[in-house]
Amino acid sequence: MIVCIAVVGHQNNPLYIQSFTEADDALKLHHIVHCSLDVVDERVNNPKKSAPTLNETFLGLLYPTENYKVYGYLTNTKVKFIMVTTDLDVRDADVRNFFRRFHAAYVDAVSNPFHVPGKKITSRTFAERVSTIVKSFGLNSAG
Amino acid sequence: MKQYINVLDRPLSKGKQEVSLSGFAFLFSELVQYNQTQVDNIAELERRLEDAGYAVGARILELLCHREKGNRRETRLLGILSFMHSTVWKALFGKVADSLEKGTEHEDEYMISEKELLLNRFISIPKDMGAFNCGAFVAGIVRGVLDNAGFPAVVSAHFVPVEGQQRPRTTILIKFAEEVLQREARLG
Repeated sequence: MIVCIAVVGHQNNPLYIQSFTEADDALKLHHIVHCSLDVVDERVNNPKKSAPTLNETFLGLLYPTENYKVYGYLTNTKVKFIMVTTDLDVRDADVRNFFRRFHAAYVDAVSNPFHVPGKKITSRTFAERVSTIVKSFGLNSAG
Repeated sequence: MKQYINVLDRPLSKGKQEVSLSGFAFLFSELVQYNQTQVDNIAELERRLEDAGYAVGARILELLCHREKGNRRETRLLGILSFMHSTVWKALFGKVADSLEKGTEHEDEYMISEKELLLNRFISIPKDMGAFNCGAFVAGIVRGVLDNAGFPAVVSAHFVPVEGQQRPRTTILIKFAEEVLQREARLG
């Protein structure tokens, strides 16, 4: 079950944060997202592996906390997508698929001529598409 | 393939990935004319066209990086330049740029040249506008792509007369910022 997704710009400014739980621990989730940004920066600046995996977009599991897992994805323009989930056994392929669809929705939102780069994403269509993607993620990996 | 009884029931085709040249030329000429009424001098007009191009550049970078298979992030100077020269040009103008050269005088200058920019095909500059080039729009696109990919640069468009040809060749001059060269030197 995905509890929170976030889009963070290249200067670590938040562009879009959305949580999907009824409980109002939104602040805690924001804090977790914020901490995971440090891990992203660390991965980008000190690559563990050699050149071939240097420019990968999918960063994988950033860090597991108490009952959450945080996944990261980096685009060419240093825009980061962070995903927080409570599922214990998530398949790698599912997460990659999720980020691929999320990236497509993000590109469509940014192509809007009225969107100012660097400001928050205010498109309702983007919010709806993201909710659809999040819901279908839960269904696919439930089996 | 299902056979649809009624032609109205058939799904819409994806459509061609192209725009008509005349439609674009008309739109661009309106853009230039609108900006001309708003400014007093040429430098300002060039700056406005560049800013318009910057917005396009930012978006096209996101779009192309998402659509390209492999989706690798460019960290090297040559990498981003060849990406610009082939992929971006192909997506915008349907062909790769004519040439990519390294400047001889300064370390940080690179040039992309075209025999004739698609943009300028239906434009003729009046004599009293001097060295103004509507290629400033393309310079803005290039600057948008480079800036958002992490390579800040100053980009400008120039006419370079070539003997044997009536119309001068257009060159996009890219001058990278200090930090880009330092980073490149560090990466070895």
